[in-house]
Amino acid sequence: MISTATSEATSQTSDPAPQKDHSVRRTVFGLEMQIETPENVVLTYQLAGPAQRYIAYMIDLAIRMAILIGMMMVIPMLGIVLPGTATGILLVMIFLNTWGYYTISEGFFKGQSIGKHFCGLRVIRDGGYPITFWPALLRNLVRSADAIVFYGIGVTVMLLTRRFQRLGDLVAGTVVIQERSLSLPRKPVILDKIQPLDKNEIGSFLPSDEVLSLIDEFIGRRHVLTYDRGHALAAILANNLAERLNYSGDPKKVTQYPMAFLAAVYKTFSFSQEDDKQELASAYRPRNQSAEVNLE
Amino acid sequence: MNKHKFIQQRRPHWKQFEEFLSNASGKSLAKLPAEELTKFSQLLREVSHDLATIRSRGWGHELTSYLNDLVARGHNLFYSAPPTNVAGLYRYLAVDFPRLFRANLGYFLTACLLFFLPLGISWCVVQNNPSLANRVIPAELITKFDQMYGDQSSLNTDEENTGGEQDAETSEDSNFGSFGDERASMAGFYINHNVGIALKCFALGILLGIGTVYTLLFNGIFLGAVSGYIVSQGNGDRFLSFVISHGSFELTAIAISGGAGLILGNALIHPGQRTRIQSLQVRGLEAVQIAGGAAVMLVVAAFIEAFWSPSDIPSLVKYIVGSGLWLIVFLYLGFAGLQSDTRPLAAKSRIPNKSTETELNGKRRP
Repeated sequence: MISTATSEATSQTSDPAPQKDHSVRRTVFGLEMQIETPENVVLTYQLAGPAQRYIAYMIDLAIRMAILIGMMMVIPMLGIVLPGTATGILLVMIFLNTWGYYTISEGFFKGQSIGKHFCGLRVIRDGGYPITFWPALLRNLVRSADAIVFYGIGVTVMLLTRRFQRLGDLVAGTVVIQERSLSLPRKPVILDKIQPLDKNEIGSFLPSDEVLSLIDEFIGRRHVLTYDRGHALAAILANNLAERLNYSGDPKKVTQYPMAFLAAVYKTFSFSQEDDKQELASAYRPRNQSAEVNLE
Repeated sequence: MNKHKFIQQRRPHWKQFEEFLSNASGKSLAKLPAEELTKFSQLLREVSHDLATIRSRGWGHELTSYLNDLVARGHNLFYSAPPTNVAGLYRYLAVDFPRLFRANLGYFLTACLLFFLPLGISWCVVQNNPSLANRVIPAELITKFDQMYGDQSSLNTDEENTGGEQDAETSEDSNFGSFGDERASMAGFYINHNVGIALKCFALGILLGIGTVYTLLFNGIFLGAVSGYIVSQGNGDRFLSFVISHGSFELTAIAISGGAGLILGNALIHPGQRTRIQSLQVRGLEAVQIAGGAAVMLVVAAFIEAFWSPSDIPSLVKYIVGSGLWLIVFLYLGFAGLQSDTRPLAAKSRIPNKSTETELNGKRRP
């Protein structure tokens, strides 16, 4: 019986795959950019909108001002000895500050100026590659065209393009993305306390992998919702699942604690689909698995 | 294989990859030992595969985004360009820039037309009719030019930004140190001012080339009027001997950066077989390398203008050296990098398309 169940499960998981793919493609127009790597896998980057970039710009502006004022205070000290040379150096520094600040910071520090670093933004090529010197120079030279009318041209073009690119980005083929911090999602603690469902109380229906991972994510993020709202949402799925499963246990479990019921469903199917001894030995949580074996 | 077993199995690899990324984030990959690189490339492909697996099975948004970011970072590191170094800079100046310049000669010539033609016309007009100079040049600048190149000014005190330098002229001959010092300040001024103009002239080409054309015309007319006015006042020899040396680099570089700006504009107007954005990207990368060369030339010009042009040397010598500099500029742009058979440029890989495109564009241009 179990072998038929697994084949059913595989057919179920293979069926929705193209559907899923389709829906992913449909949601592209949002704040995300997709590129395909040479490894034939699609990568998603989160684009940075005008507001974030404005904040980063203001930070950079403040820093550039500070550099300028700092130079104006320090360099005249040299001016006591060689006033002319000091003026010359100051002028060159002003030039570099105006035209070179972004190019140097983005070209040599992996696409992050100081303001972008603070805001968690980064400039990359639109193929997902890191930015190099020439594109950095190009996008920041064209900045002077974007900056016409207080960045009016830049912002207008940004709002007209799908990837929020200003003119400089369009020419240099770059995009500004938001960086996310890496963190592997943790397993919800709640699962430790939940007992899997009794096999005698449920029918032969097997929830699809997608449903299971939906439950997993829902439980993992349940703190986002209030207690009532969370349970109200969980009840929708819990009722349907109980019906499909022909759940014959305590109906209060479904109506009163739908979240716990979902967790129990998850635990039942996520940990016991294969009862191969070998795989059990190397399973995710050996302690729980052994408890399940006892049940079965 | 369910989600938990999958995570259980793959997790050590992800951790390893993560560790590798955080270790390697500061350095370039080229410095790592070979076996680590092999390991890294292996892991990158593995994690990519994991990402594809998880996505196709719909195993949750969080897991997908975790792996997505992991792969993105690896991708970013693995496919990063080789670091730029001094050898690259030398190669750029000795080979790449002159080559790119020659490949886009038509734009340069057009820019020359837009720059030198108005310059010549306004020079002739103003020289024959100096009163017209008032229409182009602000009055205070005119009096300054009179002072700078006039009889009472000794040649070696030519200053462009401050007429007040006059007081210094007596002490200047005796003290070379102060001479050099003042020149240094002028060098800074020229770099800031001229390179800024050239870069702007290039960048404004993105506005369908209008900004570039305007900058070229404006500067051409202005410089022509200034020259015409100064020559008409009988200070021609002092002025020309001052201008001839650095003019070689300066005027040519302005026209070159204008040409680069025209490339941008034309890429938008005549995209050829590409979309406008594609054409802008492909041509833009070439254009910026040309403009960068122009900026370097202007820095050279700034030093010549600050230290050599105003120095106390007979006009004849200046004319000879100045002509030599023009020859150098011509030889550099015309012949540098011709015989080099080293690796082709990144941008040069598109040369076949581009040459046909420029031909087409050349025909279309009136």
